[in-house]
Amino acid sequence: MRAPLPLIIAIVGIAAAPLLLPDYYVTLMNYVGLASLVALGLVLLTGIAGLTSFGQAAFVGLGAYVTAVVTTRYGWSPWLGLAIGLALTAAVSLFLGFITLRLSDQYLPLGTIAWGISIYFAFGNLAFLGEHTGIPGIPRLSLFGWTIDAGWQLYLVIWLVVLLALLAARNLLDSRIGRAIRTLNGHTRMAEAFGIDTGRLKIFVFVCSALLASLAGWLYAHFLRYVSPSPFGIDAGIDYLFMVVIGGSAHIWGAVVGALVLTLLQEWLKDLLPHLLGHNGNYEIIVFGLLVVLLLHRASGGLLPFLARMFPSSERSVPPKAVAPLPRRPRAIEGETLLAIDRVSKNFGPVAAVSELSFELKAGSIVGLIGPNGAGKSTVFNLATGLQPVTAGSILFRGQRIERLGSREIAKLGIARTFQHPNLLADRSALENAVIGAHLRGQSGLIAASLRLERAEEARLRDEATRQLERVGLGRNLHDAAGSLPLGSQRILEVARALCADPLLLLLDEPAAGLRHLEKLALAALLRNLRDSGISILLVEHDMNFVMGLADRVVVMEFGRLIAEGAPHAVRSNPAVLEAYLGAAA
Amino acid sequence: MNRRDAPALLVARDVTIAYGKVAAVRGVSFEIRAGEVVTIVGPNGAGKTTLLAGLMGLLPLRGEVERFGAVSTPPPSVEQLVRAGMGLIPERRELFATLSVEDNLRLGGFARWRQGARDGAANLERIYTLFPRLRERRCQQAGTLSGGERQMLAMGRALMARPKLLLLDEPSLGLAPLIIHELFRIIDELRAGGVSILLVEQNARAALKLADYAYVMESGSFVLDGPAAELARNERVIDAYLGLAPDDGPQTRSRESSSRMPSRGTEDHMSD
Repeated sequence: MRAPLPLIIAIVGIAAAPLLLPDYYVTLMNYVGLASLVALGLVLLTGIAGLTSFGQAAFVGLGAYVTAVVTTRYGWSPWLGLAIGLALTAAVSLFLGFITLRLSDQYLPLGTIAWGISIYFAFGNLAFLGEHTGIPGIPRLSLFGWTIDAGWQLYLVIWLVVLLALLAARNLLDSRIGRAIRTLNGHTRMAEAFGIDTGRLKIFVFVCSALLASLAGWLYAHFLRYVSPSPFGIDAGIDYLFMVVIGGSAHIWGAVVGALVLTLLQEWLKDLLPHLLGHNGNYEIIVFGLLVVLLLHRASGGLLPFLARMFPSSERSVPPKAVAPLPRRPRAIEGETLLAIDRVSKNFGPVAAVSELSFELKAGSIVGLIGPNGAGKSTVFNLATGLQPVTAGSILFRGQRIERLGSREIAKLGIARTFQHPNLLADRSALENAVIGAHLRGQSGLIAASLRLERAEEARLRDEATRQLERVGLGRNLHDAAGSLPLGSQRILEVARALCADPLLLLLDEPAAGLRHLEKLALAALLRNLRDSGISILLVEHDMNFVMGLADRVVVMEFGRLIAEGAPHAVRSNPAVLEAYLGAAA
Repeated sequence: MNRRDAPALLVARDVTIAYGKVAAVRGVSFEIRAGEVVTIVGPNGAGKTTLLAGLMGLLPLRGEVERFGAVSTPPPSVEQLVRAGMGLIPERRELFATLSVEDNLRLGGFARWRQGARDGAANLERIYTLFPRLRERRCQQAGTLSGGERQMLAMGRALMARPKLLLLDEPSLGLAPLIIHELFRIIDELRAGGVSILLVEQNARAALKLADYAYVMESGSFVLDGPAAELARNERVIDAYLGLAPDDGPQTRSRESSSRMPSRGTEDHMSD
């Protein structure tokens, strides 16, 4: 695999910097490296997973203070300081994650500010941490008897750590877990429907970002050899967040670009402005604020996407290798009762969305669920996939009651669905969106992903997604961003993603909406083919010709109740159905 | 009867719209005349939605667009176009989900109010008469409406600005047959009231039945155009976009036409 040009320039530049730069700038670059580590954690947490934290500086402080205490009070090795620091950070972030990551919208950032401030004041007020004077005399690092002393030596250590962290983050994001992390940003309902444990994953990303910050704190303590509370306050937390916004929160290198720009700019402005304005004062903050506003106006995604436009894109598709297909689950026996909805009701406050609804779906059949808009069809889907709890009644899948199960458990049993309003990661490729559907068919976790030990499994997952996309007719759009596809194709992409889960039962919510005649014919052929290959289908659709030509049975709902059920031709001439749904003209 | 003699509201000449290097709309020319419904038929990804966005000033385009008899340079902003009398109803509806139905409608009339018009109450009444369902739901949050009601609200919101030209993207998407029927009746009513409409619609049969003039768009270009009634009888349009219709009665007609030898390339310039 060929590395893209900007990446090579960046790495060569980082390696050559201590040879070319004066000492002052080497020191500055050390700060940039430390900040990059913290910002990288924030790219994962905020940019990718969509969870905003103002409190990262507190974890930097935790890492720094632990090693300071361990090395100065007890005289232990800095490496023990690192281990204890990371362990303590993991424990604290797990605890904070459990209590704050449930918060939504604006409450999460507020929560992070709260604990960020608490930890900062703990540093300043605890006597054994030296209160506001801090802890001096922290020893230098040494490695195999070689003391890391000069600025450039530290530079090498810090930037080696940064590059390794970037590499691990890149590998992680390009893996099964990485894809799951991307769904945290506004797609948790969809993610849960494909078996992704979003609650656990949020805490996992949060702990990862805290550990990166703690690692930076450990390096910081042995670099400066003195810690005091001030660099770990909420101001610093805001600065880290700024770096990510400036650099580009959607990309790991955005962390480095942001850290570099913010650190250098603040330094230069501090020197330059008093000269220009003739007297001292904190003008740099004002000018800096204006520059950030200007930047966000011109390049709202941060500097990195802006810079990336100057280089030719180096996108390439790796030719697929022949891999063994993923194992499929045993098929249901044709004719067995796959899904049974038994006197199910669902109330939203005083409104009955579904009342006393009963119908069955046999394995090997296609059932059409039709009715006017607002009749409760999508609610039935949500109840059957565990997105919403039933008010009364029971739902059985292959004889097992599922009405109390969560989305994830139901996904594991073999029910996959599409969403009425396409629920896709708009800026990721069709292929990456489809692979999310196969989440439960892979096992690899964080360590394997970071070290790229899961490539064989990953290739099989991607191969499966490629095959399903080709099957639904999107073989030519594998690498197109999902959001760039026309709406009709986005719905078909949803079908491919559901197929990647290897379902026994497929719930399709208006798959043909927005398709043209020929495209509908192709979709109908595909669905018949799926049925013949052992996938049963429950289908909500408004195009009557489409449903009537395809379904083995049709269930008609109005105002949450069943008003007709039977073979398509019988339902079609049912007076109640004509009245409520089809209209005399149809 | 022939609306093609009316003055042109919008004339597009050689319009190209590109995303980066990829052109989604390539050298398209057409016109919409006062009081007519023009429909664009074509497969997914043909560039129809992109074209509407370009006409509405939401995407930069190359070529010339004459709106209401004038070509303005620099290209007008979407705000200017709304003030001049154009309206777009996007395929995703894009309602203000947490606002009430009535507040959504009021926002539709905001540009007009800013221009000094004080006919908001009368317009609201007009919309409620056109869509009695919206009056029933006036205090309800837009996000809680059913699919049909959402589309009505999206249309009502656009109509609050009293547009002369309405761009409608997939109005029947996700709607039940009865509601679709109702919707097309309303579009017809709007035309009778003097609003011109550019209609992009998945239900090609209903669109061709309603429209005065039609264009077929494939891979970013117009490959065929003509009076809608004529296109509805065109062999290739039937094969690709209409299919056999067991309900509407044209079953016999399309069987007849498919038994005739296809007269390829005589009146159309369609390429497969």
